[in-house]
Amino acid sequence: MSIIKINNLEKQFPVGDGFFTALSDINIEVKKGEFAGLIGPSGSGKTTLLNIIGSLDTPTKGTAEVMGKSIAELSYKQSAGLRNRHIGFIFQTYNLLPVYTVFENVEFSLLLQKMSAVERKKAVMQALEWVGLTDKVDSKPSMLSGGECQRVAIARAMVKRPEIVLADEPTANLDSENSHHILRTMKKLNKELGVTFVFSTHDEKVMQYLDRIIALEDGKVLRDETQEEFAVRKNSQIYKTK
Amino acid sequence: MIKFLLKGILRDKSRSLLPIIVISLGVFLTIFMSGWMKGIFTDMVDMNAKFTTGHVKIMTRAYAENEKQIPNDLALLDADNWMQKLNTEYADVEWVQRIHFGGLIDVPDAKGETRAQGPAMGKAVDLFSENTNEPERMNITKSLVKGVMPSKSGEALISDEFAERFGVKLGDKVTIFGSTMYGSMMFQTFDVTGTISFGISMLDRGAIIVDIKDAQKALDMEDASSEILGYFKESSYDDIRADSLKADFNGKYSSIDDEYSPQMFKLTEQGILKEMLDRGENMTSIMVFIFIIAMSIVLWNTGLLGGLRRYSEYGVRLALGEEKGHIYKTIIIEAIIIGFIGSVVGTILGVGACYYLQENGIDFSAMMKNVDMMMPPVYRAIVTPDLFYVGFIPGLVAMTLGNALAGYAIYKRKTATLFKELEV
Repeated sequence: MSIIKINNLEKQFPVGDGFFTALSDINIEVKKGEFAGLIGPSGSGKTTLLNIIGSLDTPTKGTAEVMGKSIAELSYKQSAGLRNRHIGFIFQTYNLLPVYTVFENVEFSLLLQKMSAVERKKAVMQALEWVGLTDKVDSKPSMLSGGECQRVAIARAMVKRPEIVLADEPTANLDSENSHHILRTMKKLNKELGVTFVFSTHDEKVMQYLDRIIALEDGKVLRDETQEEFAVRKNSQIYKTK
Repeated sequence: MIKFLLKGILRDKSRSLLPIIVISLGVFLTIFMSGWMKGIFTDMVDMNAKFTTGHVKIMTRAYAENEKQIPNDLALLDADNWMQKLNTEYADVEWVQRIHFGGLIDVPDAKGETRAQGPAMGKAVDLFSENTNEPERMNITKSLVKGVMPSKSGEALISDEFAERFGVKLGDKVTIFGSTMYGSMMFQTFDVTGTISFGISMLDRGAIIVDIKDAQKALDMEDASSEILGYFKESSYDDIRADSLKADFNGKYSSIDDEYSPQMFKLTEQGILKEMLDRGENMTSIMVFIFIIAMSIVLWNTGLLGGLRRYSEYGVRLALGEEKGHIYKTIIIEAIIIGFIGSVVGTILGVGACYYLQENGIDFSAMMKNVDMMMPPVYRAIVTPDLFYVGFIPGLVAMTLGNALAGYAIYKRKTATLFKELEV
């Protein structure tokens, strides 16, 4: 079952007197529970596509459906509701609220859902258990390492049990060990909870974990392949180079 | 959510400390200035009421027109009858007779020749009646510098300044030269039993205080009085009450066609009191208005700076699915909480400072030696119920208004650029 369905999508931005086409002729379907990534150089359109999937932006032409809802047809309130209940976000720079504790940062999304205090506590502790941070409940972000901050950000994205998690360069600010730890955590959550993950990345380490790799170039889908197809093609390229 | 916001306010000092300091300071200044000005004006009104105007005053229409010249030839006749009538018809008001007179004080030497002379400003009040409140009302007993209060007819108090200048000692005799009610020459000798200083230059310069009966006898004003003053028995001055009393009395007894008919005036319409009171009210209103505008601008800027500092926080909250309207609402709630805290602190400080000045005051008598106005020598503040909201409400409004203006920027935020913005 497709949780994300994109048909003939085009996105243009006004530049001076004309328009810059950031995305064109995009046709992608992402099934529930996929662990997929958008890869490509800077300016290839990864973040723009992530924005549209996350209902932060709308397509100029074509359609983008998320959980059966057309993004272009959602009101501002409906798109905020979609993000609040069904989509989790993980940012490159964590973006935790500095004055609040780990618990409170994770709890925030649930406050917006007006969940009871007992339910909130249970959900937050569960999310922190997933990322292995139950011992840091009362710590402030400034007391955590970069890896720990990103794990809090994952817990914040996961606490509301979203159907989709969108992660924009989640390992860009992390060292190798922390990057692998984060990715293993997200992969585990993907398997155990069936949450769909869509990454935007150009980090080789991330690509190893992806089930599906969608390569973008100049706003177009260059390749859409599985991890196996990606690995074979890469190996053959290495072989040819040698 | 409120608990969540409160935690943020308490933990993030830069979010709360500066606005709280700004509001506290503004609220404090507004309350302090308002309380102090009100205190000074109240003291002034009170002093004028006690010494010259009463809460209401009755004079003949002709006397009132020339009051500054103290025209005792136009004084109110049949004064005792009027007193009786007033005490019967308006029993909740204390009525007293007063006579003002001018003249010369002559100080004789041992041989009875003139040793010194100076201008006299005489005040005749009821000193000897059994239930008289006049010495207490005019603070005469407490203002005695030397000697004692007069205890019998023919005794007087004179200004301590005059006594010092002309070497008048207790027990000395002084003679007042002037004119009677009918224009003939008057001279009357009094024994000085004490010297007095009110601390108000206008009253102290050449003052001589005698009993009203002595003055009536000396000035040929038996059963006559310059004026009859009325003081509300159970309360301080009440303009509405004074208005209705005045309307009732003038309706019954005053006649435009008879210049010797009595006319009642209320406190605020005598001299420049009304103008001064109105000016005082206006100044308080202007001060509060300026405070709201200035504080709103300062807090708007503080809100803008806070908005910039919390730019990524709002971005994350938008990305997490919080609606712009909800973020705006939380900005306003935070402003109300901070405004409330600042206003409470400012109100406590302001009322506290006013209370201190109400009890102690600041003595400006040294600077007021040549002031020709009836001004209190010690400036005191007054704590009134309105001090609890005169700064509090503007403090709350300014903070909310400032942040409402600054927070409006949230509606201009584009969600499409959030990922880019939050990468930094």
